[in-house]
Amino acid sequence: MKKYILIFLTLFLVFSCKEQKLYVSKVEASLIEIKNQTPVTTLEQEIAPYREKMEKEINTVLSYTPTTISRKDGNLESSLGNLMADMCYEQANPVFLSRTGKPIDFALFNNGGLRSDIQQGNITVGHAFEMMPFENTLLVVKMTGDKIAEMVQFLMVEKKAHPVSKQFNLLIKNNDYQLNINHLSFDKNKTYNVLTSDYLQGGGDNMNFFKNPIQITDIDYKVRNAIIDYFSKTTSIQTQLDGRIKTE
Amino acid sequence: MKRRDFITKTTAATALLTMSDLALLASEKNQKRHITILHTNDVHSHIDAFNANHPRYPNLGGAAKRAAYINSVRNENPNLLLLDAGDMFQGTPYFNYFGGELEFKLMNMMQYDAATIGNHEFDNGIDGLLKQIPNAQFDLLSANYDFSNTVLNSFVKPYKVFKMDGVKIGVFGLGVKLEGLVDKKMYKETVYLNPLEIAQDMTRILKNEEKCDLIICLSHLGYYYKATPETISDLNLAAKTKDIDLIIGGHTHTFLPKPTLVKNLDDKNMLVNQVGWSGINMGRIDFYLEPQKATTHQAERIIIV
Repeated sequence: MKKYILIFLTLFLVFSCKEQKLYVSKVEASLIEIKNQTPVTTLEQEIAPYREKMEKEINTVLSYTPTTISRKDGNLESSLGNLMADMCYEQANPVFLSRTGKPIDFALFNNGGLRSDIQQGNITVGHAFEMMPFENTLLVVKMTGDKIAEMVQFLMVEKKAHPVSKQFNLLIKNNDYQLNINHLSFDKNKTYNVLTSDYLQGGGDNMNFFKNPIQITDIDYKVRNAIIDYFSKTTSIQTQLDGRIKTE
Repeated sequence: MKRRDFITKTTAATALLTMSDLALLASEKNQKRHITILHTNDVHSHIDAFNANHPRYPNLGGAAKRAAYINSVRNENPNLLLLDAGDMFQGTPYFNYFGGELEFKLMNMMQYDAATIGNHEFDNGIDGLLKQIPNAQFDLLSANYDFSNTVLNSFVKPYKVFKMDGVKIGVFGLGVKLEGLVDKKMYKETVYLNPLEIAQDMTRILKNEEKCDLIICLSHLGYYYKATPETISDLNLAAKTKDIDLIIGGHTHTFLPKPTLVKNLDDKNMLVNQVGWSGINMGRIDFYLEPQKATTHQAERIIIV
């Protein structure tokens, strides 16, 4: 623990008998790491029943995966990223379609949002919390072709496995690229409806191309709830690397 | 007040005393005061410590361990003020399942005195926060959220004055702009007021009307925004106000190894602090105060570190 001592010196200028006040003569500051202290029993006892109930809930089995779903098994994609984007797309698309009569073109999230792999075996509520610990909401962002081109540049520069849904197929060739969206060539003059989270739309993870779009539709669906709903309706999870983003 | 005692007891003798004798007597009568501030910010429902295999924060944090540290300091100095700068809620399933109930109950057990309202306190809507208020035995302070047209009206105070060891400590809260950060359907008719203007009002009230010896701002504005330096932040607020001794900040999850020294509007030094997030650290600031000699006037503070 480091301790900093700051001393406030006081200059006495005016001489008067009026008011006696307190003044700060010294300030000490320190930063204490909470690590090795012995836990207080009364607090542990208070926490225990909550923890027990919570653990029971988060251990509720939703689905099963025959293989370990990794976030690091590819270069520009990962099986967990592909799964995450596809799940959100599949859950969100019917909602958006019923509200607007238009489909979502594809989904994009951020690699940093994938926190841990899902081990082979049962998938629980806890896995959904690990995948999405915050209350981020799904948004559909209507974007110009120019902004999509900016997005592609971003992906080419970052070279991270940012999760995209299977409708988005990007082939990177040196300084050029070929992009297909839903089996059609990307058209810079068209607009696209892109599914993402409110966090990323706000410029999170430097995805600035999401800022100032043509339109934002809040479908009132939390990312975690979409994941839980997908797991709940799917007995066995299938996902794989399919080269949705790759270099030539 | 002690000063009054001193005056009554000594009037008879004053005729025989010189000015310097008076000052000497005053300092003997009024011992040095010592106020300890302990603070957290952005604990985000981290009731349990991080796992031993956590890549960044193995075994760090945990409410029961934090309580142990607080108890040890309380034994050392009972004149302790325990404060939190907001975002107590959200970040572990404890919040998702129990809505903040356990967070507040544990803060009661640690004897928190006050906390300000962070943006994540609205994560279950303003009604979700209202529901937890009966569980909090400490004050929720926010001076720049106007809750008059919401269910929280009368449950949140702008400031509170604590008196310990003869020292009056004024604490007020400031919250971050909600628009664009929190869904309107969550915060409903909460009105965000200009934090700088409110801070100026608060310091005037606490200094001139409440006659506080120390003024502390619990802020969830964020430490500083490099990309948009004009955005109101703790550093900006500190420089543009006077009479605040300490800003305890939150929101930006800033890990400061020591408090930042800032020159305020009067060119006096004050402190801005923030201790990361999730209860990994606790900040401790010890203020030592002395009765100003009856014959003097405090003009300037100079700091030697």
